Amino acid sequence: MLNRNREPLIFESSVVGKVGMDLPHLDVPEARDTRPEHLRRGPFQALPSVSEVEVIRHFTRLSHDNYGVDDGIYPLGSCTMKHNPRLNERVASLPAFAESHPLSAQEDVQGNLAALFMLQEWLKEITGLAAVTLQPSAGASGELTGVMLIRAHHVAQGASRRVILTPDSAHGTNPATAAMAGYEVVEVPSAPDGTISFEDVVDHTGKHHPGLISLVETLGAEIAGAMITNPNTLGVFEHRIQEVADLLHGIGALLYMDGANMNALVGVARPGDFGVDVMHLNLHKTFSTPHGGGGPGAGPVACTAQLEPFLPRPVVVRDGSGYRMDWDRRQSIGKVHGFFGNFGIAIRALTYCLSHGGDGLRAATLRAIVNANYLRRRLEGTYHLPIQSPTLHEVVFNDALLSSAGVHTLDVAKGLIDRGFHPPTIYFPLIVPGALMIEPTESESKAELDAFVAALEDIARQAQSDPEALHRAPVRAPLRRMDETTAARKPVLRWTGFRPQ
Amino acid sequence: MRYLPLAPSEDRALLDVIGVDRAEDLLKSIPEALRLNRGLELPPHASELDVLRTMEGLAGANRPFRSRFLGAGAYSHYIPAAVDHLASRQEWFTSYTPYQPEISQGTLQAIFEYQTMICDLTGLEVTNASMYDGATAAAEAALMGLRLNRHRGTVLASEGLHPHTLEVIRTFLAPREGLALVEVSLKDGLTDPEDLRAKLSEDVACVLVGYPNFLGCVEDLQALAEPIHAAGALLVSVTQEALAFGWLEAPGHVGADLAAGEAMSFGNRTSFGGPFLGFLAARDSGKREMPGRLIGQTHDADGRPGCVLTLASREQHIRRERATSNICSNQALIALRANIFLQLAGPEGLRGLAEQNAAKAQYLREKLLDSGCFEPLWEAPFFNEFALRCQGDVEALQHACREAGFQPGLDLGPYGWDGAVLWCATELNTREDMDRLAEVLGALPC
Ligand SMILES: Cc1ncc(COP(=O)(O)O)c(C=O)c1O
Repeated sequence: MLNRNREPLIFESSVVGKVGMDLPHLDVPEARDTRPEHLRRGPFQALPSVSEVEVIRHFTRLSHDNYGVDDGIYPLGSCTMKHNPRLNERVASLPAFAESHPLSAQEDVQGNLAALFMLQEWLKEITGLAAVTLQPSAGASGELTGVMLIRAHHVAQGASRRVILTPDSAHGTNPATAAMAGYEVVEVPSAPDGTISFEDVVDHTGKHHPGLISLVETLGAEIAGAMITNPNTLGVFEHRIQEVADLLHGIGALLYMDGANMNALVGVARPGDFGVDVMHLNLHKTFSTPHGGGGPGAGPVACTAQLEPFLPRPVVVRDGSGYRMDWDRRQSIGKVHGFFGNFGIAIRALTYCLSHGGDGLRAATLRAIVNANYLRRRLEGTYHLPIQSPTLHEVVFNDALLSSAGVHTLDVAKGLIDRGFHPPTIYFPLIVPGALMIEPTESESKAELDAFVAALEDIARQAQSDPEALHRAPVRAPLRRMDETTAARKPVLRWTGFRPQ
Repeated sequence: MRYLPLAPSEDRALLDVIGVDRAEDLLKSIPEALRLNRGLELPPHASELDVLRTMEGLAGANRPFRSRFLGAGAYSHYIPAAVDHLASRQEWFTSYTPYQPEISQGTLQAIFEYQTMICDLTGLEVTNASMYDGATAAAEAALMGLRLNRHRGTVLASEGLHPHTLEVIRTFLAPREGLALVEVSLKDGLTDPEDLRAKLSEDVACVLVGYPNFLGCVEDLQALAEPIHAAGALLVSVTQEALAFGWLEAPGHVGADLAAGEAMSFGNRTSFGGPFLGFLAARDSGKREMPGRLIGQTHDADGRPGCVLTLASREQHIRRERATSNICSNQALIALRANIFLQLAGPEGLRGLAEQNAAKAQYLREKLLDSGCFEPLWEAPFFNEFALRCQGDVEALQHACREAGFQPGLDLGPYGWDGAVLWCATELNTREDMDRLAEVLGALPC
């Protein structure tokens, strides 16, 4: 749908006197003013006065400037942009769920508790771990919860350890989380095959980076644990994960797994079977809940029986024929959300699980892996594949074959926009210069994959024939390339066009 | 399986291009011993109708109420039809974080407008694209206060914060060595100025105060700000019911340096406590210490205005272990709903709705006092929530309410106020329901 013009800010349409919401009839006396004079609400400066029609048109027109999963392939690596089933939305909006209050008497919300318990059981079977909390709000919140569990474990042992290891291919939330949980971050280099390096590595500048074995030897009991993504951010399975776990356990440290890439493993392999002590899942990735333009998601944490006593309070338990929130958890790390996490997202994920069943979950994983490998095979040669190791659900290319023509990853991304596709994740993981990280998910048909390949091939051809066209791209999107430098140098973070009152 | 585009002939074609016989051959990089050599012990896939029946069965095990008088951090308000309708457009709910601004202007501009309105409501100058919820927003505000007041290591928190919020703050601060969280006690439902003065010191970075507080009482931020600022500390207001901003002066105009809180009341359902909407606002000078995503205005190569993610050098994907927070995904769709709600409400609607909430709560309080079951605890001003002391057995009273189809107020006993009940009334509670509730309670042996 074409817009006539850029949709103006709603504030510019505001005209005093218009309303978009009529107040309900007031059936009690008007409020007495009990506020101290200086606490009475003064004038609003920005809230707009507009009618419902204008609000509906505003958000409808703005929506036309967005690309969604329903528009086509959304191949953001690491983000698992799969189909968002509408049944999930219908179930989450059932009034009995959506209007239930978090501080209800427990006997009045047995349905909610049963649903949470059921999802916990599914996630336990899927991860092979002993216990699950649904309280964390997103992946990063799950990471923080998990690392706090590791800390609580060490504190209970009377030990204070100061270091968390993260590979150099890790997502930014991993080191940021470790720091938030009070740890020093020590980076572990990657081996040429893209997996975590056991041996020391000398990089192209001649700099020496101690590998996992050296780090374990030198830091020993200073190490609280390691955070490892598996498959890693290159889509490569960390085939020595069991050895990593053994090395860590040997010095009393624990293994955290970032489960952002579980779409490669569900029904195929279980982290609990390869030595992982604690991990998070992203319900908004692997379990199909919508990304909502950036959230909300949910980041359940699964852990071993050893870590279970430290889980955030309360924990949903089954008690005879009913369910209950167990608040009496003396060793709990506390709370990581005001209530019980993003319940509405848990309901959607449970609906996804029930729809797929154990067999469907595995079929989805296999198809996601097939789709990614199909893209890999079709694009290899046209785009450079910096790491040759076998990959699972995603594949990372880069711009090495195009850079002699002066075309870079950003140009490829913008060229895809002009061809009607959402670009892949770019410039991540950081260890691959100019990374193009492609994750098709199981939702894409062969026809959609082929169309995407054709677009990327067309871009590679244009890189040779008319690189300037790619530098100019996009020209068919609502806007051309944005001036991000000015945005950061002179930040305008809100509209201030209001008349001074 | 209806969500998978599976067809034997096409599957074959895909596998042939890859050069393998079966999909399982692609699992070889996972060592055999680590692979699951059995099916998941879970039920098989199911049709939409069958899944719906299962889930409706669960939903049916929840107790319905004709009217709810429970708030305490999660508020039932009317949601205009346009909110649900607009937010269920796929362009909003299926899209990702707006990393590609040229095809995400919808999301980016919406967040820019949301940021503008949160700044307006709080009387501050910078706010982010959202936090997970009010409790984590308060915890992030405490951490931000520590960063802004770098050489200080103590956070004071009023006992009038929601107990869950206090617990989240405690959880977030616990792993940081050398930091202390000290609670300031209440007097007559409000933060005790004497205790506050006694606990302020040169080590206090910031002080968190509920506005209104957990007990529904309206704290006089301006009066509290004086000693706090004199001690060189920052005042952080924590608002668990953002509709109060239609009734109470913006915290930034009465001394708050940071404003955190929960804005689920704008167009969102209680949904058993989530997804909710945390907000965190600050003065312009604090923008580089802000956690989370910020949207800024700029222009494209042709000079047309548009929005982008900005000041990203604060964030985890750039700054890694030195980031202001680890937050990545936030509550964007919930913020969008709040955005639509606030645009519909506008200044008149927000103020009017807030006044109606105050009126309903005042009416309910009088009715409950008249029922003979309750007596006042204190006389502090309140917005749409208030606590009363129950003359009789709180459990029996709650039972009677529930049997009559009313969700009762919160028993404050487990939170340290024995015999007290926290009641909430909003525009959804009719006079008829409140009269009936009072009758039910009046019939109890109090
Ligand atoms: C590998 C990895 N880890 C962690 C995260 C953080 O997850 P969330 O955005 O849900 O906090 C992401 C999200 O993009 C990720 O890709």
